[in-house]
Amino acid sequence: MADNKEKRRSAVIPPAMADSKTAKCDSDREFLAQAGVGELLRGAILKMVEARTDDPIGFLADHFCNLASVSDAGTGGSEGDEMNNGTLGGRAHEQQRLNRALWHLRLAHHSHRSAFSNNVRVAYDLLNDSMGPSGSDGDGGGVRGGLYTQTLQCLCSEGGVPASTSAPLLHRLHCQDHEAVPYDVFRHGVLTCAVFSDYIRQAQRLYAEVCCPDEEPVSRALGMAVIGTLKEALETSQGSEARRTLRYLEASAKLSPDQLAQAMATAQTRGPGGSMDAKEFENAAAEVFITRVKVLS
Amino acid sequence: MSVSADSEPVSCTVKPPVFLQLGDAKTDTVKSGVCIVDVTLPFGKSVNIEEISFKNFYTAYVTVRLLRKVPGQEAAAKWTTALRDLALMENPHTEGGSQDYSSIHRAQMQVVPDHVMSVRFILRQPSSAWMNFNLQEIKIFQKEVSDLLSDLTLVDFRPDLEGLPDPSTVSSSIQQMWALTEVMQTNQTTASIGRFDVDGCYDVNLLSVP
Repeated sequence: MADNKEKRRSAVIPPAMADSKTAKCDSDREFLAQAGVGELLRGAILKMVEARTDDPIGFLADHFCNLASVSDAGTGGSEGDEMNNGTLGGRAHEQQRLNRALWHLRLAHHSHRSAFSNNVRVAYDLLNDSMGPSGSDGDGGGVRGGLYTQTLQCLCSEGGVPASTSAPLLHRLHCQDHEAVPYDVFRHGVLTCAVFSDYIRQAQRLYAEVCCPDEEPVSRALGMAVIGTLKEALETSQGSEARRTLRYLEASAKLSPDQLAQAMATAQTRGPGGSMDAKEFENAAAEVFITRVKVLS
Repeated sequence: MSVSADSEPVSCTVKPPVFLQLGDAKTDTVKSGVCIVDVTLPFGKSVNIEEISFKNFYTAYVTVRLLRKVPGQEAAAKWTTALRDLALMENPHTEGGSQDYSSIHRAQMQVVPDHVMSVRFILRQPSSAWMNFNLQEIKIFQKEVSDLLSDLTLVDFRPDLEGLPDPSTVSSSIQQMWALTEVMQTNQTTASIGRFDVDGCYDVNLLSVP
């Protein structure tokens, strides 16, 4: 839907500009109204408010870049459709759709629930009718599995997760190219990847904190103790839904500084020897997360 | 505030009321207006009280005393006053509140009602208008997260942190990771894409020959 509106705008602007030139536009206000600048800026500001960005200038720059690429795609794409009816144009078209979908997904952090959900919806709709040019499938069937998988891959790599770390996660969420992905599955996949990226970044920070005092690689015992504590807390938080508050309380008790100090001190005195490098730590932390992700079926 | 309907009261023994008598217990029937009700838990047991509930029967004021044991030292149990002269009736001489249900919550008590072995109610009724007074249906409810909280408060182990990272920063990082994992888990979807194969293999039973 958003796409249609943007397309229309791109189609409208040039004639409007041309008109304004010939008519020597009476007032500035009229010129702005004709060029649709007000709507353009309002849209940009709305997006920015929704995303609550830290970097307004960067955000607006990206936003307008995206709009520009959309209007390019709008004009270029339609020519392509007529000329070579699919394949090459279709591929480029698809890539553009994917980029735009990713751009929408990047707009809001997943903790801004409603904004994030809106953006996921927009991205889903964008990808869903990307079968467009050939027109064979039409929309409504769901996003193609290949596009969905590609979206997740991009999200993870943009989130700073090394491909080797995200591979087991993507294996669980992965869809075949011929499969049609419904919205719920898409949303779950996207959210999981976004959360996972945050999780891995946090794990990397944690590693730095654990080796902080003496800048040496973390001893295996210590690393295992820290991850073991996390695992233990997550295990308590499984079980019946009704007692969620209690479970949370219990988990937080297990993750208290006192408990950790105790776990680390015991690990240091008696635990496996050797050291653990950052990658190994990251993998161990990732495993804790990934084993809890449901395999898509 | 009130205890949820599904929680069960602690099993305990409510002893018969003992009235404080003036003069000779047999001949003199003048009552002093003071009565004591003891509630004991099974021997060797203790309870972390969440709430005490009862039905009043013409008692004007109640004082609650608790026999609490010090964890780790079985012998050193001590009586303390948890609540002094709580008014149960608006006016001792009138009916108001005389047969109401009341409850005393943990937060109302002046001491922490943990590790309680015995509860003593001291009932007072200064008005001579009533022949008798008592508390009925006394029930004690236990705090559910007792073990957890006692774990929290009893950490007196101060490990040697020489050469170890700061536990509070490590703790806050891990808590973040825990929360992220929880976010993922609570957002798991039940939707599926209707696949019959698992990891590229089909269930043998699905491969039937017509």
